Amino acid sequence: MKLGVVRAYMLKEIKEMLRSKMIVLVYLLPTMIVILFGYGIRLEVTHARTVILDHDQSRLSRDLIGHFRHSKYFDTRVMNITEQQALHRIKQAKTEILIIIPEGFEKRLIQGVGTEIGVFVDGAFPIRGETMANYVEGVIFDAARRLMPPKEAKLITLDNRNLFNQAMRDENAIVPGLIGLILLVAPAILSALLIVKEKEEGTIFNFYSSPIKKSEFLLAKLFPAFVLHSVNIFLLFLWATWLFEVPFRGSFTLYWFASEIYVLISLGVGLLVSIITSTQIVATVLTIIITIIPGFLYSGMLMPISAMSAESVIEAHIYPVMYFNHIVYDTFLVGQGLASPKNQLYLAILLAYAVGLILLGSFLMKKELR
Amino acid sequence: MSAPLLDVQNVTVRYKETVGIRDASLRAGEGEILGFIGADGAGKSSLMHAIAGVIRFEGMIRFRDRTFRSPRQAEALKPAIGLMPQGIGLVLYRNLTVAEHLDFFAEIRNLKQDAAFRAYRQKLLEMAGLARFTDRAAGHLSGGMMQKLSLICTLLHRPKLLLLDEPTTGVDPLSRLELWEILQQIRREEGTTALISTAYMQEAARMDRLLLFDGGRIIAQGRAEELTRSVRDYCYEPTDCPESRCIRTLDTTYSLEPLPAPKKEPGLEALFFVEAIRRGKIPPAIEVSPRESAEPIPPVVMEARGLTKRFGDFIADDHIDMRLAGGEILGLLGANGAGKTTFIKMLLGLYPIDEGELTLLGRPIRSAADRRELKARIGYVSQHFALYKDMTVLENLRYFASIHRIPQARARERIRRYAEELGFAPYLHALPGDLPLGINQRFSLAAALLHEPVVLFLDEPTSGVDAIARAQFWQLLQKLKERWGIAILITTHYMSEAEYCDRVVLLKQGKKIADDTVENLHRRFPEAKSFEEIFLRFYKEDG
Repeated sequence: MKLGVVRAYMLKEIKEMLRSKMIVLVYLLPTMIVILFGYGIRLEVTHARTVILDHDQSRLSRDLIGHFRHSKYFDTRVMNITEQQALHRIKQAKTEILIIIPEGFEKRLIQGVGTEIGVFVDGAFPIRGETMANYVEGVIFDAARRLMPPKEAKLITLDNRNLFNQAMRDENAIVPGLIGLILLVAPAILSALLIVKEKEEGTIFNFYSSPIKKSEFLLAKLFPAFVLHSVNIFLLFLWATWLFEVPFRGSFTLYWFASEIYVLISLGVGLLVSIITSTQIVATVLTIIITIIPGFLYSGMLMPISAMSAESVIEAHIYPVMYFNHIVYDTFLVGQGLASPKNQLYLAILLAYAVGLILLGSFLMKKELR
Repeated sequence: MSAPLLDVQNVTVRYKETVGIRDASLRAGEGEILGFIGADGAGKSSLMHAIAGVIRFEGMIRFRDRTFRSPRQAEALKPAIGLMPQGIGLVLYRNLTVAEHLDFFAEIRNLKQDAAFRAYRQKLLEMAGLARFTDRAAGHLSGGMMQKLSLICTLLHRPKLLLLDEPTTGVDPLSRLELWEILQQIRREEGTTALISTAYMQEAARMDRLLLFDGGRIIAQGRAEELTRSVRDYCYEPTDCPESRCIRTLDTTYSLEPLPAPKKEPGLEALFFVEAIRRGKIPPAIEVSPRESAEPIPPVVMEARGLTKRFGDFIADDHIDMRLAGGEILGLLGANGAGKTTFIKMLLGLYPIDEGELTLLGRPIRSAADRRELKARIGYVSQHFALYKDMTVLENLRYFASIHRIPQARARERIRRYAEELGFAPYLHALPGDLPLGINQRFSLAAALLHEPVVLFLDEPTSGVDAIARAQFWQLLQKLKERWGIAILITTHYMSEAEYCDRVVLLKQGKKIADDTVENLHRRFPEAKSFEEIFLRFYKEDG
């Protein structure tokens, strides 16, 4: 390998990237994704517009209403309208939650008879609806436990789930996952484009017809992409900890090292894409498809891997996303670091992926027209 | 001839579904220039790619004392080979400057950059006339300059074997001459062997030896005189064809049977026609039915006064006056970057006019609104045939018909008729990318004719198209002119085609330097043997 040749080729790549403004994309895309998704995805619900129909007008019912009033999760109005009118408000999207406290609510509880509180939730957005329903149950359960002796409280049966894990902010759950997504998508697109651009425009002949070795060509293409995206590792860390105030409890070195390996995996994916495509648009779309979908689905960001069906679990283990995200979540939120055998294993798996993909790409790439 | 430097034996290149070249053999000695001629898709590029070691092939290639049978084995020879693939500026990076290109090509080939190298580099720059433009980005060079830059980049490592794939296609005559001069000088000084494919027969005639390609085979080789002599008996002054084994073009009739007409001295083009007749691949006669609409053609179709276009400091078109009469074919000639395309784009309203007056079909053009209804009466074929590659020929034509709001039934009928008359009916369901350029060119023209315009603007419609297809194209234009009385403005780099125009306008660096009939120009320069010489004369004499 002649380093002078590689250097000359890399210099050309960097000049082209600067002059074609491609460099803007390299840094704008990751930052945009983290900001848009970081602020955009909200699993938590606050200020749900709630209407309560109090048919009991008792001390207990007013206490219960007070609990809703004092919660930031609900904007509560007690209204004196019929059920029909109240349900109509949900249809008009003026109200999201309707709670109906029945007549004799207090009396029945004191008498030790079971009672029913009517809860209607706008389910137009299923996840939001589910969350709101759980919140309502939580508030009622919480109120019941405080307002009455345990024996009576049991008369209102509720799912005993703690939904008010105050410390579990959305940002903490989402932003580290986004890092795993971005570092898989962006370097892959760049490396695929750097190679396919030459195929599409015909300049690839300069490689085919000159004595440049395949290894020199690949190094010249992948190394700049690697260095440029290494900067994004720090940039994304900055957005996560400074902009979104996600705590960072683990070892930065581990985060950094794992991310660099992960960028290599992504470059390997891009390299493989560049082998089977010949136009930039197809290369971009294909890269996005094969990175974003597993990046989202199998990251464990939206759904824990443990909660997936058997096939999905296998698939999740096939994509490298899960391993990286495990390490990232650990460094941000848990902080076990390399002390955890699982982290050690996952790091090794990532390394194997990186080496494997790049070797496979270099093997499949041919220095000839096809 | 001593032991050949290059010995190619039985080379076959296969693609997924087709064969590029079959069983090709050739030999070339040191310093020899071999010309490849033939239609596109005839196998010239495939053979070049095989010899350059950039594609897999069957057979054997020996260069000097090394033999290779695969691209991998060819690696060792690449320092001695230079390939310039087909396509204007194909191997250049738009954003890099001329100097950066030379540095890049020197460094990736690991050349020692000593004083001798720097002197050679400077000499190449001067030969190419690029010494003043070292800081200009390749994307801002004219086509001719791009090709010269590509050539000197290919020459930088002093290859012993040079493979040039249509280096002059789409390049103006002056740049072609300059490219050729660079080549001659390099051959003299370096003893370089060169294989060059070309679509220009005047150029082909200057090669040491020619190989004629057809349908993926080399069907004849020899010196230009030998080859033309072999077909001399079949060429006649234009006369009607009495039987089927005969092709008539605008200036010659080719027939295997003796005809009662005076003989004509053939050019190299004759090879293609005679070969086509021999193989029974006689192109269908071009026919044009009268137009359906009864709209009269105005006596003056286009009149431009002082038309000017500036791009920043650069004046692309500098106060150009031009007049296009009804039923006239006007040839717009000039070097790459002389302002031909810019002028046509101003006529079409694709570029705003910076200065001057334009009257189209008797209506002064001052705003976009003035053009709107004129669009239905203008036909345009752009340099690169604006076709949709993912739609079949038929789908493309239907799409263009619906753009022009031609009722479906009428559109179907016209497409069917054009397909018959222009001879692309068998290809209606093929994708444009799979067809020869000549077919694409004809159906692009059909797309521009669907709405029966009264004026046609054609921007280099014949570049890269083979001799037979070009001859047919010009017959078609003549027929259109006769039957429809349509006015045609056409740009071309084939100076032989200028002879078919009623009048030619020469542009040079944005200025009009001649506007006359071809006959008058010949009268003005009686010693010129061809129109190409007249063109070069004009270009050279005013500095």
